[in-house]
Amino acid sequence: MKRLIKENLDLLLNDMERFPGYYVWIGTLIALIVLGNYALLMSLIYSLEIFEFSIKIPWGTMVSNYVFLVGSSTGLCIVSSLGLVFGLKRYEPIAKRGYFMALITIIFGMASIMLHLGHPERSPIYSALTPNLRSAMWWMGIVYPPYIASLAVCFWLLARQGLAKTARESVGLQSKIYGLMALEGLKAYLYRILPLERLEAKTYRLLPLEKMGLALDSDGADLRWARIIGALALISGLLAYTVESTLFAHAEARPFWYGALIPVDFFLGAALCGLAWIMAAGIITYKVKGEVIPARLRDLFYEMAQILALLLSVELPFIAYKMGHGLFEPAKGKTIMLLLKGPFSPAFWVFEIAIGIVLPIFILLYAARQKKMTGVLVASVMVLIGYFVKRYVFVVASQVYPVITKGLPSYLPAFMEVLLIIGIFGGLLLAFTLGEEYLPLKDEDKPVTL
Amino acid sequence: MKKAAEKIDRRKFLKIMAGTSAYAALGPVRPAGAQPYRFGKLADTTRCIGCKRCMSACKRWNKLKVERDELVSDRETHLSAQNWVVVNFRADTMNRTRRTYQHWACQHCIQPACAGACPVKAITKLPHGYVVVNEKKCIGCRYCYQSCPFKVPQFDFEKRVTRKCTLCFDRILINYSKPACVAACPAGALSFGYKHEMILEAKKRLYKVKSAKHILGLKEAGGTDMLTILTAKPEDLGLVVAPPKVVNQNLDKLRITAAGFMSASALAGMMYLYRTLTGNNSR
Repeated sequence: MKRLIKENLDLLLNDMERFPGYYVWIGTLIALIVLGNYALLMSLIYSLEIFEFSIKIPWGTMVSNYVFLVGSSTGLCIVSSLGLVFGLKRYEPIAKRGYFMALITIIFGMASIMLHLGHPERSPIYSALTPNLRSAMWWMGIVYPPYIASLAVCFWLLARQGLAKTARESVGLQSKIYGLMALEGLKAYLYRILPLERLEAKTYRLLPLEKMGLALDSDGADLRWARIIGALALISGLLAYTVESTLFAHAEARPFWYGALIPVDFFLGAALCGLAWIMAAGIITYKVKGEVIPARLRDLFYEMAQILALLLSVELPFIAYKMGHGLFEPAKGKTIMLLLKGPFSPAFWVFEIAIGIVLPIFILLYAARQKKMTGVLVASVMVLIGYFVKRYVFVVASQVYPVITKGLPSYLPAFMEVLLIIGIFGGLLLAFTLGEEYLPLKDEDKPVTL
Repeated sequence: MKKAAEKIDRRKFLKIMAGTSAYAALGPVRPAGAQPYRFGKLADTTRCIGCKRCMSACKRWNKLKVERDELVSDRETHLSAQNWVVVNFRADTMNRTRRTYQHWACQHCIQPACAGACPVKAITKLPHGYVVVNEKKCIGCRYCYQSCPFKVPQFDFEKRVTRKCTLCFDRILINYSKPACVAACPAGALSFGYKHEMILEAKKRLYKVKSAKHILGLKEAGGTDMLTILTAKPEDLGLVVAPPKVVNQNLDKLRITAAGFMSASALAGMMYLYRTLTGNNSR
């Protein structure tokens, strides 16, 4: 046993010497997670109040972060569906990474909202026992589990062959783990212990699965099933995000949230975020690994950059319309003036408009024309930062009126709140890094063809 | 004489018939909103002397904590998980010399928006008029606070649930006694009784008392079971102004959800269009 530990420790130390940057990065992320956990522990020991910078604003950064991550997940699912569900072949290389990121963003987004609840353990129990069909929040609890499940299954189906390949190529424990992840040999085992053959024959007689290439042992069945599940993920994702947006849009007592424009805003934002995440994550991965981006992926990124610029230029007049329209409503006007002229104006003008929309349009168009990958990366990251701040302003500024008339003590999130958000982002990035390292997310692994 | 009484001629018959049908149609004259067994609370700010006995009685009955000097000073107090009723000294912004004590608590809306927003039905409107939070069910999401037109339900950071005024439903149903705040009021500023009686009383005082200018709760948020007689309009007194209609009604929710579905389908349609237009030709 001692020898085994020593051997493995030597291996690890050797690895650390060879790739110090990777381990520093992982260490930093783990430190961030520890910080987040510290904040969580303090909230459990003392009170949830440490996450609130004003008792009058009960929804703060954790809710805005949740909205941001869930929007990102929906956007990633939408962009990945272009290849898998809609059959655009040039979008297929990003499908695996897209679904993986959609999965981890929704999981960490859900973690963000769960930690914000007073009693998260009661919510599944009483949602089942006493459902309130009139509440958008209840519907949210209903539509998200199928979305998460279909994302997970879809990603697994796409990655299964890669996992099986790794399992065959590696040895020892690693091979076993990958084999388990790919569920290699599970079918044979189940057939040995259960009378499944008769059931399968019966199913094939009843449903034309074999003819459609959906039988379990037919060629490319994984991919066809992934396509079906991907369609389900897209539908449930759109449904779920509709409910998510109406959660805010139903709140008539919060004038800035209320209204039928909010769902449009949310879906536009989701599409922006999805494109930006895919490009940022893809380019960063290739740059960090020091690999050359394949030509067809390069072309795809430039095309996506143009689409992102187009969507941003749609977003700009939409925001102008939303703000201008709201200024004529007395209830909304005050909140909008907070953004235009008040304490939230730096967040609005600098982050939401300049960094989030206007500058990226020019950078993206320039980068797409001059074929500069760094420009695309910078612009995507800027869009993400701008969108994160936009969601913060959307959630927090709307709650100022009508209760707080004499001004808030602070418009910035509380220290502990920031620590927790840092922890959540640390977890997200760690999951992404480990996924890139150990899961077959790479695009040219196996060109997907349907 | 007897004959005349028994005799019903055509004109008299028509009169009786018209009278009966009119009575059947209009019904006995009742005050608006009268419902048997629906209770209401009336707060008269023209009579309030600012002793804050209602606050301390509420804290005693509901076992709430006393925070700092809130019961002995005229410092502005906000509703909180430990303060279900507050009394604040407010000046009318139109006339700064006219200052009154404002009694402020949950308004117990006739159609409460919080009950429609709570995902687990922890908030219910009981048939007698009380809007009550079930603290054992509450998941602590604070969505009720966001949807409340008066911004009343407050989060308790220790119990991690939302708490608010219950109109002492536990006193009334068991002991047939008034809410703690009403029982404690020494100046007769608070009264409690059947809702229609309270409305009549409020209207009478509005007519009789010179400084009474407005009854809060007749129209706000579609009507509430707590009425407050104010000396000025609520916006001039710095109170939260609710729209004069039911907030968060079901039809409106459906309308907005439909907008959400439409934008989702528009997005899917655009993706399909993008696919059809650009096709699979490699660039």
